[in-house]
Amino acid sequence: MAPTPPTWRLDNESVGEPGSSLHGVTGHEPTFLPTIDPVHEHDDQPGAPPTDLKGRPFKLPVDSEHKAKTVRIWTIHRPHMLAFHLSWFSFMVCFFSTFAAPPLMPVIRENLNLDKIDIGNAGVASVAGAVVSRVLMGTICDLLGPRFGASSLMLITAPAVFCMSLVTDPTGFVLVRFFIGFCLATFVSCQFWMSSMFNTKVVGIANGTAAGWGNMGGGIVQLVMPGVFHIIRHNIGSNDFTAWRIAFFIPGVIQVFVGIVVLIFGQDLPDGNYSELKRKGDKVNDSFKKVFLYAVTNYRMYIFALTYGYCFGVELTIDNIIAQYFYDRFDLNLTTAGTVAASFGLMNLFSRPLGGVLSDLAAARWGMRGRLWCSWTIQTLGGISCIILGVVGQLGPAIVVLLLFSFFVQAACGTTFGIIPFISRRSLGIISGATGAGGNVGAVVTQAIFFLNSSYPTERGILYMGIMIVCCTLPVCFVYFPQWGSMFCGPSKSVTEADYYKSEWNKDEQSRGLHKASMKFAENAKSERGSQHGSIAAKEGLEDANTKGETAV
Amino acid sequence: MALVVAAETGVLFSSLEETLVVTADIQGQNWTDGPRIRTARVGEDHMLIKWALNSTLTGLGIDKNYMTVNIRLCFAPISQVERGWRKTVDDLHKDKTCTIAITSQKYTTEGNFTDWRIRKNVPGATYFVRAYVTDTDGTQLAYGQTTDSLKTSNLIVIESITGRHLSMDVASIIFSTASVGALIGFLIVEFRRLK
Repeated sequence: MAPTPPTWRLDNESVGEPGSSLHGVTGHEPTFLPTIDPVHEHDDQPGAPPTDLKGRPFKLPVDSEHKAKTVRIWTIHRPHMLAFHLSWFSFMVCFFSTFAAPPLMPVIRENLNLDKIDIGNAGVASVAGAVVSRVLMGTICDLLGPRFGASSLMLITAPAVFCMSLVTDPTGFVLVRFFIGFCLATFVSCQFWMSSMFNTKVVGIANGTAAGWGNMGGGIVQLVMPGVFHIIRHNIGSNDFTAWRIAFFIPGVIQVFVGIVVLIFGQDLPDGNYSELKRKGDKVNDSFKKVFLYAVTNYRMYIFALTYGYCFGVELTIDNIIAQYFYDRFDLNLTTAGTVAASFGLMNLFSRPLGGVLSDLAAARWGMRGRLWCSWTIQTLGGISCIILGVVGQLGPAIVVLLLFSFFVQAACGTTFGIIPFISRRSLGIISGATGAGGNVGAVVTQAIFFLNSSYPTERGILYMGIMIVCCTLPVCFVYFPQWGSMFCGPSKSVTEADYYKSEWNKDEQSRGLHKASMKFAENAKSERGSQHGSIAAKEGLEDANTKGETAV
Repeated sequence: MALVVAAETGVLFSSLEETLVVTADIQGQNWTDGPRIRTARVGEDHMLIKWALNSTLTGLGIDKNYMTVNIRLCFAPISQVERGWRKTVDDLHKDKTCTIAITSQKYTTEGNFTDWRIRKNVPGATYFVRAYVTDTDGTQLAYGQTTDSLKTSNLIVIESITGRHLSMDVASIIFSTASVGALIGFLIVEFRRLK
């Protein structure tokens, strides 16, 4: 069967084999796109405002793909801003459900007779499920759309949240936290949805803000759950061991409600839902084997999966242990310990978006080398502040250090996803999903090593975790892009962006023109050369790849 | 706040003398000597706790500063394993062995007793009862407990409530079914519309 000449749709619209496209997970799509091929046959009348397939005009300025060109945060204009708010809110609700138990741990541990090992196992279980579900969510978003992906995950995991009120022993507790944890995969649907709705110039801000505000759920829950618990205890009069069970209905009901709202009001693409739209133009399915091959042979994927495990993974770990830590070490009551713990997660309001912004600023001046230095510096500072947190014994300084630590660790998450889009163009989806999953693996490993046994107290575990952050961030020094350099080496003069991204396609595929979309990206990626080269990049056209003799590493 | 904490680092338990004799009976169960473990159920059983100055020490003036007797329920070593929040520390301000208060009574030389209905938020664990004697400032001066110095004899196992109720179980099932049912319903509607 001779293959028909494929026409590549724009990269972030291609729907391929499982795992071959997780577009939007990145947070940073290329910002210099010379042309955007229209995906759908739009009947936009010249001079008239663009309309969707049903003839309704868009309230935001849109590009030729009908993706929004601005993010107006204080509005809910359909479909773009409504998608933004549904997206971050659904992710936030899932974070809320996953970390609803830790702030109530002092009560739960007495009711269920948990010891430190049980609590540690439950913490590990709560983040382990998402290692798999995050990788699967990419496929679901490709096939069914982010709307179904997010809402079906929320509605399927909500029963686990309700089951928490039935638990009577440690095993049940660990199992329930494991199943609830699957819903953290809404991170992927959140980022995917943002990239479908927002133009490349603003998708970075949209993704970073949505991810940051979603992560805030881990902070908000530390305030809300103790508050709900106290209301149930004092105003309704239940005893402790019943009140915490009733409190769990709050995250459960909210999760069901938001899942249904996303199903009713959400829309996958600016023009409509997957099920409504007919796919126009030829659709090329990339080979899953090839995409997988180019991902697993790219050493940079492993390095960033490791480092993301020690910024995002550490953030998840802290969400699990910090309320109990402040309750036990500083003798705070449940509500106060919850408030302190909440401040950690709430920093996400601006820390993670700011990390992305800092990475962009560094790149504007120093290119990719700036991004790498920015990422290493911020994450190492996070490790150092973690070490200090483990050592500080007074409450006031501990809170200050906690806030500093939270800023650095969350900003590091933002900087990581400033680099991910450039590692590979063909295997972007798998690499992004693997990095996200690596975050959860980091959380599993860290909790298992440092917070499971009782041979040393929690503060020493935090100290060791800080040392591990610093050590596991060092591999960033070894990330080398031939066209841009590394932290300590300059670029190779004979290798360009086009060479690097073309090397993911073999001669046969190149002769069929499958690499053309990667070449478009390569042109945009010239922005990663830094300010001294930026103006040159803007003027240069696509280089003829055939005239280059060397292939990139 | 650091100053307050510093001022309160206090009495070491090892410096206290065991001058009181404390016994705890579970209503309806007989007290016999030896390392027997008895079981009590929260919400059902009462504990009758008696304390008095050791008869060999009466009249010696040891109790001239004794003001109040604080009776507390304390975790036995077996319930402290892998549970740092119940850890025994010699400094009584940091000690977490006896975190459950039973009652406080004024000290009298003849001793006293109390009938305690076990509260519903008492966790299920193995316990003993200890009574601290304090002076007017609240500083501990002496103590008495129902078990020996190794905390292995005459322990009391308390079975707690689960906290579950039938109404909650039913609500869980209803909400879970509604959640999955809503998803299936929407899927069916969407696929019907596709056709």
